[in-house]
Amino acid sequence: MAVSANDASIQSSKPRRLFALPDRRSRVGYAFIAPALLIVVVVSLYPIAFGIWLSFTDWYLLQSLTPTFAGLAGYRRLLGDADFWQSLGRSGVWTIGTVALEYVIAMPVALLLNRRSRITSFLTGALLLPWVTPTIVVAYTWRWLFDSQFGTVHYLLQRVGLAGERSLLADPKTALWALILVSAWKGAPFMAVALLATMKSIPGDLYEAAAVDGATRRRQFLDITLPLLRQVSVVMGLVLGILAFYSFDLVWVITKGGPSDATQILGVYLFRLFFERLELSYAATIGVAMLALLIVFSAVYLRVASRQDNDA
Amino acid sequence: MNPRVRASARDIGLDVLSILAVGIFVFPIIWLFLTALKPSGQMFEGPLAILPHSITLDNFARIWNAVGFQTAFRNSLIVSTSSALIVTIVGLCAAYSLSRFRYRLRSLFAGGILAVQMLPGIVIVVPLIVILRSVGLTDRLAGLIVVYLLIGLPIAVWMLKGYMDDIPAELDEAATIDGASSLQVLWQIVMPLMAPATVAVGAFAFLLAWGEYLFAVALITSTEMKTLPLALQAAFGQYSIDWGMLTAGGVIISLPPAVLFLFFQRYLVGGLTTGGVKG
Repeated sequence: MAVSANDASIQSSKPRRLFALPDRRSRVGYAFIAPALLIVVVVSLYPIAFGIWLSFTDWYLLQSLTPTFAGLAGYRRLLGDADFWQSLGRSGVWTIGTVALEYVIAMPVALLLNRRSRITSFLTGALLLPWVTPTIVVAYTWRWLFDSQFGTVHYLLQRVGLAGERSLLADPKTALWALILVSAWKGAPFMAVALLATMKSIPGDLYEAAAVDGATRRRQFLDITLPLLRQVSVVMGLVLGILAFYSFDLVWVITKGGPSDATQILGVYLFRLFFERLELSYAATIGVAMLALLIVFSAVYLRVASRQDNDA
Repeated sequence: MNPRVRASARDIGLDVLSILAVGIFVFPIIWLFLTALKPSGQMFEGPLAILPHSITLDNFARIWNAVGFQTAFRNSLIVSTSSALIVTIVGLCAAYSLSRFRYRLRSLFAGGILAVQMLPGIVIVVPLIVILRSVGLTDRLAGLIVVYLLIGLPIAVWMLKGYMDDIPAELDEAATIDGASSLQVLWQIVMPLMAPATVAVGAFAFLLAWGEYLFAVALITSTEMKTLPLALQAAFGQYSIDWGMLTAGGVIISLPPAVLFLFFQRYLVGGLTTGGVKG
């Protein structure tokens, strides 16, 4: 679309025209954002469209080298696929468990660090270490800590009766819960920092006034802090929930979905179909299903987050 | 006890409690470091033998000289540095466009980039790998760099836009009147004013790519192309009883992100809590 300077000046003098070509300054604006848009289109929009197309094909790498159109076959299979529904259920438990535990860990830590003290900023930095440690390292570190012979965490859990002889990761009944602990451990710092930032923004006068009225610290927490943290808690819960629901690497590296599929969450199921069973089309179908869920989650998130902007 | 003494005793008590709480919380990382420093003979003395009696750097030497580790270190450095540089430059231009220009599709573009920020890798991994294979980018560092652009770019655009919005537009207007082009305004006026934030965003893009696992494992097959997470995984399969060597590898992989993050904490924490996240 070549636009001469002359055209542009004519257009810009009639800004109300519906299909007005952009004026010179707007064109500069478009030019600056073009590289970023190119990356987004090539690496994300096109793969999404391609993935949707793949989900309507039949492409099993061991049988054919190219996809053939198969209509809704993949989606019909999805509806009757017990492994899919079980994985979805596990992802639900995994997501809710992770976020709940993150909150339980983060709240007391944030309260402790919400003070004026020389050490709190250092401790906040230290607290964030699990968040910035690469997943692969977190995964192996916890595998060692859960080791049934030499694992420190396993030993302590055994002493308080929460673990038996076997590692929690080796027992189908406990493996998912052990992984939820690891996942929450990695995500909790992020929740804590967000809670802490909001706590610091609460004006001190509120507490002073409440103290004058005879409110105990416990009452101050329940009646002032907690209600003012509601919004950030919901927003961060959704962000970390989406992150957990779509996570893959932590579980894959620690258990590969085992023992006997006990930790096969949706991301792991998709990856196994793709990577081990080479069922490209069906893996793409599950990807599209996960994308549809993401649109629902994001709509909820945007509603809640925009309410936050209005409140502020 | 008078109230002031009581207050300061309470402060000290809470300080001690805070140190204990954070200390217990980061125990796994402390354990990793201490284990990496332990001589082999002390490795399996029992679950509570956490502190080394003496320390050694042998473990680091062993993993560093293990097959493929140095290559993987170099690959990770190449991939993370290239993607971070491109993300920062492209991100600066996009942020400049969104922050300083008004045009019809601006809010659509801004919303689109934010939406991509929320797009999890697992959802597009299958089609993206098929596409990259069709253009011959599987098992090549270039393919990984392309993918990591997507992982780093949206958050970079949003963080940079946030910092840029805080710089008064009068400065660029004055420069424009003096005859500076838009590109000159960006590079010579705006960017220098937010140089630390720009470097912080680059560091963040670097550390997102540095630890990435999903696309690395899906794209890379040959040993010479492996990045550090894949090399550590390979070493884990091969030397699973050598905890010293493997923990040392873990420390080597964890150090760059930890150092970068602590260095730029001030910029990153604010940006992360406002702009959402991609972990």
